[in-house]
Amino acid sequence: MRNLLNFLLKYINIIVFLILEGIALYWLTNGNSYHNSTVVRAVQGVTKGLNERINNVRNYLSLREINSSLAAENSDLKNRLEKLTKKGDSDFISVDDSLLRQQYQYTSARIINNSVNRQKNYFTLDKGSLQGIRVDMAVTNGKDAVGVIVGCSQNFSVAISLLNLDFRLSARLRSNGYFGSLSWDGRNYRYAVLNEIPQNISVNEGDTIETTGFSAVFPEGIDIGKVSSLKKSGSDFYNISVELFADFKKLQYVNVIGNLKRTERLELETQFQ
Amino acid sequence: MINSILKYGLAILLLILFQILVLNNIQFSGFVNPYVYIMIILLLPTVTPSWLVLIVSFLTGLAIDLFSGSPGMHASATLLAGFARPTVLRIISPRDGYESGSSLSMAAYGFRWFIIYATTIVLIHHTTLFFLEVFRFADFFRTIFRILVSSLFTLGFILLIEYYRKGR
Repeated sequence: MRNLLNFLLKYINIIVFLILEGIALYWLTNGNSYHNSTVVRAVQGVTKGLNERINNVRNYLSLREINSSLAAENSDLKNRLEKLTKKGDSDFISVDDSLLRQQYQYTSARIINNSVNRQKNYFTLDKGSLQGIRVDMAVTNGKDAVGVIVGCSQNFSVAISLLNLDFRLSARLRSNGYFGSLSWDGRNYRYAVLNEIPQNISVNEGDTIETTGFSAVFPEGIDIGKVSSLKKSGSDFYNISVELFADFKKLQYVNVIGNLKRTERLELETQFQ
Repeated sequence: MINSILKYGLAILLLILFQILVLNNIQFSGFVNPYVYIMIILLLPTVTPSWLVLIVSFLTGLAIDLFSGSPGMHASATLLAGFARPTVLRIISPRDGYESGSSLSMAAYGFRWFIIYATTIVLIHHTTLFFLEVFRFADFFRTIFRILVSSLFTLGFILLIEYYRKGR
């Protein structure tokens, strides 16, 4: 017994170190379930409150920019509304058209925590499952794709940012429709990489990259960025660097887009895979 | 005794708040992330038993993890720094040894000793942290570059705080 105690006392440091390091690494490697663990959820109430307060100050400081972007979006929407009502005026008939059902629904949300300087960036929104946010909804900054929701609590949700090494997005060239896979290489927060575009087609600097809608997350044709430079690598594919339209450093208000027909589509697709 | 525990408790709290409220919100060019909270491990007095250093390191890392939404990265990196601390202190001990009552400051042991000590611990911490963050060895040299630049900034902040403490 005394030998055992002596042994424990002698190696107490290494034992404490190994136990604690084990806990930390276990947590790290199971990081995906991080937002669901109960301990974390209990603490998050406090940390989220603090983050929200910090962000309130930051938001106030950039009210002018938010205002102008909202005004621009407003005028854009008014223009579209104008076109729609003018068209409808001539022959307005009420028909219950089941083919023209709404496919996407939009909600706005505010970002209360965000980062661009890590390798795996996430951001937090101030709306959660009670406000209708669900996992796998798309997030845009009004016009451009910025991320996808990966976890919701009742009043908050966490989205994986486009600036995350684990993020993949199906994207295509607007000019000719060739599609590839867009990801971030962890270098510069203004640029992402588009892969799998074959070298036999012509791509120009400045070409717009948009979403394809293949993944049933993003609607088709949402802007992502423009080609800033392209290299021919040894393989059959281009190495395209994409300058992102969205400036992730000043993201504040975002739109969350839910696909109402997603479940139906995925059910059908799984039958053939 | 009680007095110095209170003093260190306050210092720990201040450093953690400084890290999460100020430094985590400064996002320089995407390469630079100073993590000044590691000073907590640097400054614990020489008489602190090693197991207590480990527990303080773990709890500090845990607090930073919870507030920056990273699972266990800071906890494991800070813990490793805390584990290495006694060995580092033994290797670079000054000729007359450490005075048992004093704190490990620049004022007590001089600039040269302090910079060696701080650089070693900061490099251990940042190397672990940044490699755990990337979690792969691809882009090895870019990660090394990020570690070096961030360490430089962290050391800069630590020296500023030390000069301020010395001046008082």
